[in-house]
Amino acid sequence: MDSEALISKMAAHSYEINLFGIKIPMSDSIINMWIAMAVIIVLAFIFTRSLRKIPTGKQNVVEVIVEFINNFSKSNFGHHWRPFAPYFGTIMLFLLFSNIISIFNVIPTAEGLHKITGLEIFEHLPEFEISPPTKDINVTATMAFMSIVLLLISTIKIKGVKGWLKTFVTPLPLMIPFKIMEYGIRPLSLCLRLFGNILAAFTIMELLYFAEPFLLPGVFTIYFDLFDGILQAYVFVFLSSLYISESIE
Amino acid sequence: MSDLIALAAGIAVLTGAGAGVGIGMATGRAAEAVSRQPEASGKIMTIAVTGFALAEATAIYGLLIAILLYLKIGG
Repeated sequence: MDSEALISKMAAHSYEINLFGIKIPMSDSIINMWIAMAVIIVLAFIFTRSLRKIPTGKQNVVEVIVEFINNFSKSNFGHHWRPFAPYFGTIMLFLLFSNIISIFNVIPTAEGLHKITGLEIFEHLPEFEISPPTKDINVTATMAFMSIVLLLISTIKIKGVKGWLKTFVTPLPLMIPFKIMEYGIRPLSLCLRLFGNILAAFTIMELLYFAEPFLLPGVFTIYFDLFDGILQAYVFVFLSSLYISESIE
Repeated sequence: MSDLIALAAGIAVLTGAGAGVGIGMATGRAAEAVSRQPEASGKIMTIAVTGFALAEATAIYGLLIAILLYLKIGG
């Protein structure tokens, strides 16, 4: 694989969707996010139908997930946990599905379909590949921005404007520039950590698929796609909740 | 020029060494702490994971610089 092919794999592709005569440019990370959202919505719909007081079958699974999220926010936010639990649960599930989405990349590409079936239709389809949307820095930057906005809103709401301004000078008035810098550095590091990890895992997997397509990627995908994806989703949620709990105390 | 850029990208990835040492030490200490107090393993785990994430950040920044340099070669 030459460097140009690798760069085009790493970068975000753009497609044009024709909606009532208006051409809308779409990057593939948006389409992948839609796929992740659709999977979550369908799963949520299937798992939460006909809930009963005494859980049976699939309701047990949902209750374990909800309990994990509730305990997570209780241990981080103390008695303020209630409004934070749904947000962090949503972010955790969304990041989880977006990070590990590339293990579902079993659909052959348009070129492959054309070669297998010999049908003319497939030749003109745009090239699309299921890849983690978090390998696009715009997605992770948005996530980090949402976290820092939540931090600001929750701090002001719980402590009041005066209490929020007091956090800038809490140990010493000397700390003001550092406290202001924190509002820029924290989202930056949140964003870059998720982006860099997922992009690195994705690139390594692409190189592996090219170098040794037999059996070896199947072993490494467990670490790079599954384990790393789950860990990074947890780390993102954990660090942003840590920042918020530190700020609202 | 592109040779020098490739060399620079290689040097940028050397930040991984620091992250490796940091994560190794954190894991070692975490294992020690768990063997001393097995009942506190849950708390130790969360602290260790935070430490890994923060130590890893330096390596990720190095990788980012390397990628940015690498993209320079093509264009």
